[in-house]
Amino acid sequence: MAVVNVTHLTYHYAHQSKPVLNDLNVTFPTGKFSLLTGASGGGKSTLLKLMAGLMPLSDTGTITYDGRPWSSIPAGQRSQTVAMLFQEPSLQFTMDTVENECRFVLENLQVDPATMPDRIAASLAFIGITALRHRNLMTLSGGEQQKVALAIIVAMDSDVILLDEPFASIDPIARQVLLDKLVALCTDHGKTIVLADHDLSGYAEWVDHLAVLEHGQVNLLSPSETQARFANFTPAKLAIHPAMPRPTNPIVLQGSQIRLYQGDRDLIKPQNLAFYEHKTTLITGPNGSGKSTLFRALVRLGHYQGTFNYHETNIQKIRQRRYARQVSLMFQTAAAQFLNVTVAEELALSLKYGRTKDFPSERIDQLLERLDLSGRHDQVLYSLSSGQQKKLQLLCMLIMAPPVLLLDEPFKGLDLASVTTVVAILREIQAEFKLTLILVSHQLSGLDDLVDYHLQLDHQHLQYVGVFHES
Amino acid sequence: MKAWHLRDIILVTILAIFMGVIFFVIGPVYTILSAALAPAGLQPLANEILLGIWVMAGPLAGFIIRIPGAATLGELLGAVVEMFLGGVWGASTLISGVVQGFGSELGFILTGYKRYNWLTLVISALTTTIVTFTWSLFKEGYASYHLGFLAMLFTVRFISVFLFGGVLTKLITNLLSRAHVVKNVR
Amino acid sequence: MNPSLKLAWVVLLALELSFTQVWTVNVVLIVICLALMIWRRVAIKRLLWLTGVPLFFASALVWSLTLQGSASHHFLIVIFTRMFVYVYLGGLFTQTTDPLTLTRSLEQNAHLPAKFAYGFLAAFNLMPKIKAEVASIKAAALMRGQVLHVWSPQLYFKAILTAMHWSDQLSLAMVSHGFVEGAPRTHAAVIPLRHRDWWLTGGSLVLIQVGLFIGLP
Repeated sequence: MAVVNVTHLTYHYAHQSKPVLNDLNVTFPTGKFSLLTGASGGGKSTLLKLMAGLMPLSDTGTITYDGRPWSSIPAGQRSQTVAMLFQEPSLQFTMDTVENECRFVLENLQVDPATMPDRIAASLAFIGITALRHRNLMTLSGGEQQKVALAIIVAMDSDVILLDEPFASIDPIARQVLLDKLVALCTDHGKTIVLADHDLSGYAEWVDHLAVLEHGQVNLLSPSETQARFANFTPAKLAIHPAMPRPTNPIVLQGSQIRLYQGDRDLIKPQNLAFYEHKTTLITGPNGSGKSTLFRALVRLGHYQGTFNYHETNIQKIRQRRYARQVSLMFQTAAAQFLNVTVAEELALSLKYGRTKDFPSERIDQLLERLDLSGRHDQVLYSLSSGQQKKLQLLCMLIMAPPVLLLDEPFKGLDLASVTTVVAILREIQAEFKLTLILVSHQLSGLDDLVDYHLQLDHQHLQYVGVFHES
Repeated sequence: MKAWHLRDIILVTILAIFMGVIFFVIGPVYTILSAALAPAGLQPLANEILLGIWVMAGPLAGFIIRIPGAATLGELLGAVVEMFLGGVWGASTLISGVVQGFGSELGFILTGYKRYNWLTLVISALTTTIVTFTWSLFKEGYASYHLGFLAMLFTVRFISVFLFGGVLTKLITNLLSRAHVVKNVR
Repeated sequence: MNPSLKLAWVVLLALELSFTQVWTVNVVLIVICLALMIWRRVAIKRLLWLTGVPLFFASALVWSLTLQGSASHHFLIVIFTRMFVYVYLGGLFTQTTDPLTLTRSLEQNAHLPAKFAYGFLAAFNLMPKIKAEVASIKAAALMRGQVLHVWSPQLYFKAILTAMHWSDQLSLAMVSHGFVEGAPRTHAAVIPLRHRDWWLTGGSLVLIQVGLFIGLP
């Protein structure tokens, strides 16, 4: 068991004057499960990476394991002291199959090859993924990949386990299994666990301590304070009152016998599906259940079975160049949308090819002002904060004004005030250009005025929910 | 001198694969161009016209990673990718990869791995053309072409390498340096 | 046969035959490679492909050399058969070698530093993600009205940004999985390098030298 101690830790990002971690002190309780929480971009990820020795420290003595800085632990023992599980499931493996990855890791630790098979079998069994042993890692779902990543940490027998938003893209059942195993690792094997998540929902019964990262410092709450904090916390509830679509509503996109899948796993079983013109439809459903996959299928970036018709023409039969401007996607990662270097260039591109010419420069300036993006014309896109990127991305897509706009988590990382502004702008531009909006969002408050219909993904089936209006 | 670290090795490999995937669409163009030029005995011209695209990974890797050997490794890995993606030229792809990579590496060697600007890219385009052309003299028997035809092949190859390995590479690195992901170029 | 030795054999031969002009040796090698590929049960479709492609390009090259050059008949036959040697040697290698075994062999037998061996491997395993990313970049551009071609700087710019992000992430993950540059490692799968492999490689190379010497015009 290792005691992890952080003392007087200060950390600056390059090009930023204010430190993101400012004289931070914390000792994570040994053998306990701590949840590190705080706003997006507040430094949680940075703290974990520094603790895991993955980013250089100017003063190595500020983070110690049993009094020893990471850098003075013999190289061969470091990953047995502390290991990290990353947010992006698919970018943490070296080898092709689960078994080969486990072998690679044990080779790194100079484990005797003769003992490897048993050790691998035991850790896979502990996580309950023995069946995945010979599977190719790239064909696994995000949830399965995270399970493999945890099994590897179990095989390494690391004392301190750090997890950086590990559940961001995985389904609730896999999340449950992982939380279960993490608790077992604490209570039965004395492991120290620090898990970072900006969202508190679904943790109350699992974690021992809350560690709140605010203004560059960590406030570690006692178990009773932790429970009190959880008791005060109410997860975001869906506060919308959508109607059921009427049979007479014009349909813009019609799917027939649509099946979505990942590998050999069904995400959506064959069904018919209609999206209604000039309306806003909200799609909700658990993480990893296939919402983004549906969007990728709709913009012809992913596989699906069945047919999608756009205004009665099969979308596969429309010229890609034309279709892309009819049905566009606002990607979940803002950077994926950008093609240029500066804010001004990115806006100029949208203005050049936008469907309407109703965006004179005064209007753009006004919109930028409302989005709190004024005066950033020459700034490099990739140096904007994630919230600023998200708002600019939305503006660029609204200027394009495609007849159908799919929005994948358009409010991700925005504060509540920004969400209100963004929703207002969305409504105005939708009304003005008669857009059809289809959105996937975890942020559910403040959407009541925007959303017409609610499509729920549950048990591999998409279904409209709401009240019937007589007319 | 800067040494190779894990991150650089992964970066140069991913870069090579990206180039391989992007160029994959060129395959049919090459075949059609070859077929069109073959009856007139001009098939090698198809090679020359498109060669600049195949050798781009070299200067780009050299410019971004800035470690001696980056251009060679980038191009060699490009060849490995091509080989395992199902390219048929196999062993000769690997050798050509090294030859092409070394050709562009020479440009960086001649500027001492210190200057990363226009001059470097022009020199690199020139060395790439000379080195790969010398290789073709033997391998593809170019040595027995008439001098005039040979001069034309050389010119076309240089133009292609210059446009892709020089001009396009410069435009790409301009974007990268404006986005502050590679050091500013003078 | 040991993959590292096989690679060396293939590359050495391809290099040597680029400078020599003995078509009989080329033909013998073609026959041997073909026989070995059939013996190792390479799919017939693949064999046809490996024959059709060089047939077209070798013919086109020979035709071009005839029209535009002054090559002798002997030299044209050498060039024609040489193209087949390249392809068959390459085919023999890729069709009978698994990339993972090759990497392990390069690490264990050829003493390639582990950071190179596993750095390459980690990146190669991202192949499907890389393909998807290229499609994504192009689609994102189309949605903005822009068509990205092979000659569009932005296509590469976006690809390089992604490559940088992924290489950062992957290298951190490898470190977190206990990989230390230059540190000793054990080997779960030992790739044998037998005396037989050396004799086969050495012996066949000597035989080919003899053939080349006898075949000198």
